[in-house]
Amino acid sequence: MATNSKVTQWESVLQIIIFCVGFLFAISYYVILPEPINLQSASNGLLSYLTAMLTVAFAVGVINLTRIHFRNVKLRRTDWKFSLILLLSLYSMITLSMVSSPFAVDPQGVVIPISIIHAAAPFWSFLYYNVLVSIDTTVFALLAFFVASAAYRAFKIRTIESTILLVIGLFVIIGQAPISNTIWPGFSAILNWIMTVPNTAGQRGILIGSAVGILAFSVRRMLRYTW
Amino acid sequence: MPDHIGEAILLVLELSIMFLATRLASNRSIKPADIFDLGKIEEWIQDAGSMKRPVFFTTGTGSVGSPDTLAGIDLLRYVSKICVQHNAPMIVANADLNVQQVTEEVVKEAYVNSGRLNEYSPDSVRYLSSSIFGYAAGVMGLLRRERPMVNFFVGDFAAEALIVTEAGRSVTSNQFGGTSSVVEMPVFLATCDQTLIGSELYAAQSYLTSDAQATSRLFGEDAGKVVALLLVIVGVVLFSFGNGLLTGLIGH
Repeated sequence: MATNSKVTQWESVLQIIIFCVGFLFAISYYVILPEPINLQSASNGLLSYLTAMLTVAFAVGVINLTRIHFRNVKLRRTDWKFSLILLLSLYSMITLSMVSSPFAVDPQGVVIPISIIHAAAPFWSFLYYNVLVSIDTTVFALLAFFVASAAYRAFKIRTIESTILLVIGLFVIIGQAPISNTIWPGFSAILNWIMTVPNTAGQRGILIGSAVGILAFSVRRMLRYTW
Repeated sequence: MPDHIGEAILLVLELSIMFLATRLASNRSIKPADIFDLGKIEEWIQDAGSMKRPVFFTTGTGSVGSPDTLAGIDLLRYVSKICVQHNAPMIVANADLNVQQVTEEVVKEAYVNSGRLNEYSPDSVRYLSSSIFGYAAGVMGLLRRERPMVNFFVGDFAAEALIVTEAGRSVTSNQFGGTSSVVEMPVFLATCDQTLIGSELYAAQSYLTSDAQATSRLFGEDAGKVVALLLVIVGVVLFSFGNGLLTGLIGH
């Protein structure tokens, strides 16, 4: 992973830009200079440029998808029919969204005739709310089944650690169930203790470690210095 | 004066201690005892290369500004280099358009550095969807169709983590995960053979090499954690006795 390749001139220029921008953002958080210098406004201005760049990058994604799936269809690769469906869905949704949607390019009908905008509206609504949202929800619902299979693997008793995990997991599951208080009121108290004491302590430990790691990682990246 | 002067003092203190500890470890060749064994990565990729099966890599759904994504991209640089060495085809899936461009360059660079640019296929780095579940469905489809030999899920993941890693588990026996998200960590631990959690993710570079200078960085980070813990303990004790010096320095 360590890169020992020679640093080219362009890489040096890029590194200087990375350092300057990174330093500006860091210093603008800590230091307020007297007027007329306004570091906070400069960093906010740079963020606006970033947003614009991210928006332009969207085209790259569309080009990549089109290139890969068009080639799949053209060469009749395995499952090329799915690629065809993807291309049709992608471009029909782009067209409909541009014509008639909350993001339409000409909602007042200056260039695109109003009749076409009205005709396209139900198609967009159908594709968005009845197809896209439903598919999204379906994929989300798969989580329940994946949780079951992952939990089965994690809770299989093989070692002392997995046994502890199983016992604690059972207490948490039973404690969360609506029937737990009817069985034994102590389950809620045990659940509460597990979640607020060992669970929170463990999470905070990991978070502190991550914060220190991010700090070191960011400074090394900004300085490109291998300390 | 700004509100954050206390934080700035602590930042300089923390960084100085980490720097000095790293220097000290580097000069005296001190290595932390618990070095994570990542040697298996090369073994897995070698097997994939010999069986002509692909290696799958994804940095999740985070943006290019997320530290986890950047750490994932760093690991991708290493993985793609090993893949080129062992002739293992790669598939990289992305959910973010900027990450897509960066990962394309990283994979291409591995081929360029080995003088085999003609073997690089632009189709190996794919943009799937910026929608979390669209991306999850895309990864599931890719894994089912391409049947990779090794899967890497290293980066910034959200609700899709369990969907993609479980789908990966069903098609391959070698799976590697890495995240600093405390919510997704159990998912990775349950579904991956090896997992980098929390700060390990940012120190992956040090784990992957036997170079004394690189491993000494782990010592520096550990020293940083000790300082953070000492500050927590001192802060708790001082606050318990009614002294708000440390909390006043950090808080607003």
